[in-house]
Amino acid sequence: MNSANTKTKITKKDLFKANWRWLWSSQICWNYERMMSTGYLYTMLPTLKKLYPDDDDLIEMMKTHNQFFNTNAYVGGFIVGMDMAIEEKEGTKAKDTVAGLKTGLMGPFAGVGDTIVGVILPTIFGSIGAYMGLKGNPIGAIIWLLVNFAVLFLRFTLLPLGYAQGEKLIYAAGDKLNRITDAAILLGVTVVGALIPTVVSAKVPLVFQSGKVTLKAQSVLNQIMPSLVPVLLVALCYWLLGKKKMNSTRLIVCVLIGGIILGGFGILSK
Amino acid sequence: MTIVWWQILLLTALAFWMIIDQITVGILCNYPLLIGFVAGIIMSDIKTGLVVGATLQLMVLGVGTYGGASMPDFMTGAIIGTAYAVMTGKGIDFAIGLAVPVGLLMVQLDVLARFINTFFLHRVDKHIAEGDTKNVARNIVYGVFPWGLSRAVPVFIMLIVGNNVVSKIVEWMPQWLSNGLNVAGGILPVVGIAILLRFLPTKKFIAYLIVGFIAAAYLKMPMLGVALLGLALAIMYYKQNDNSDNNKSQSQDDGGVENELGEYEN
Repeated sequence: MNSANTKTKITKKDLFKANWRWLWSSQICWNYERMMSTGYLYTMLPTLKKLYPDDDDLIEMMKTHNQFFNTNAYVGGFIVGMDMAIEEKEGTKAKDTVAGLKTGLMGPFAGVGDTIVGVILPTIFGSIGAYMGLKGNPIGAIIWLLVNFAVLFLRFTLLPLGYAQGEKLIYAAGDKLNRITDAAILLGVTVVGALIPTVVSAKVPLVFQSGKVTLKAQSVLNQIMPSLVPVLLVALCYWLLGKKKMNSTRLIVCVLIGGIILGGFGILSK
Repeated sequence: MTIVWWQILLLTALAFWMIIDQITVGILCNYPLLIGFVAGIIMSDIKTGLVVGATLQLMVLGVGTYGGASMPDFMTGAIIGTAYAVMTGKGIDFAIGLAVPVGLLMVQLDVLARFINTFFLHRVDKHIAEGDTKNVARNIVYGVFPWGLSRAVPVFIMLIVGNNVVSKIVEWMPQWLSNGLNVAGGILPVVGIAILLRFLPTKKFIAYLIVGFIAAAYLKMPMLGVALLGLALAIMYYKQNDNSDNNKSQSQDDGGVENELGEYEN
């Protein structure tokens, strides 16, 4: 805990190195016990070696960074950046601060990152891509690939931003982030609404005959509402997911079997 | 059409890469559509790959791997489904019927990979105590292998031995089952949509769900158009709440960060 280590400066090159390591390693050794702890440690390792020439300090801080950590990898670089700024200034004295900061921020960051990068982006671009892909058109898939490259570029800016701005920015941006997340969700929900009638294909091919009058079930349904069957199926699945013992995997199995049975008996068709 | 050795190797490499991609750069990520696209290129039948991938994509739209939960591995499903659809010429429905069970079974191997990495974690702990930074780093990087091999090995095996087995299944498959699979392929996207609606605060934004539905079902607007409509609505929402939020934040302290998670659960 000598004071010499506090004079070591973190350079732009160090930031880039950490950024690069975070990109490749944050989840590389993900495990059930401490999740992203190893990835965090691997990212910090060059910085730690630079800041703590003393072996005991180094071991102490390596232990600190190999504790439970789990957040969204896309935005987690921001936390690493803040951590680097604090350790550069305070050294081993910041041990508890850093541990608290990591555990305090990983949840909110996971919330924002998982929602926007993990759900809303795949919803929007997955919907467009799948809609085109079902017709054999690769343009949607290619757009999505380009978007992913753009996201890759953007996430590289977060770690230096965290280093430069630190806590200040988090508090200032809290409100704004909420609104951006909400607006993104709104966009996602709109796209999902359009998804129901376009990608779910289910018709009722039954034909009823009484005397000379034939009644086609599907044309009756169409008069009530277009895509009524897909809407009802989505509502049914939504309701089922609210049941206690239902999860996504079970639901997929149920729908697969249900589809085979209904299709086999000719009650539903594509 | 049969599969040749370099296609098997490329598909195996794709299987290894896709999970590493997912936990690192996120280009192909855990998106069956993009995996199917690449698998289609390898099998020189892009259309089949896209359709298989797109169908699987719609089933997992809202499914993520958050907090360490495993999701159905329809990426592996997309590779196997595309390869067999091209090999057998049996079409998309057959591919989906094959890809879904494969994807569900593969979850077990995802769990296994995440479990095996605990072993490396404990070796890292040991080397930390010794202050051996080189071995600390090395053991973390070893985590690549449980991840990659958990996908690559099954794909390789299925492509090698699958040729005969699958052609037997194809011969055996009765007509009613292919009809049923056809229908199942058509309605499986409802699962992804329902999961998404459960995850998102749908009740709060139900009006926009209806707007999106009207645009597509009644006005026959293409998906990109709906996305632009949604974008316009999102911008309006953002600007409208700008003023009211400014007023609020003057009276309140900035506790915004803490509230974020709680708000989704409303």
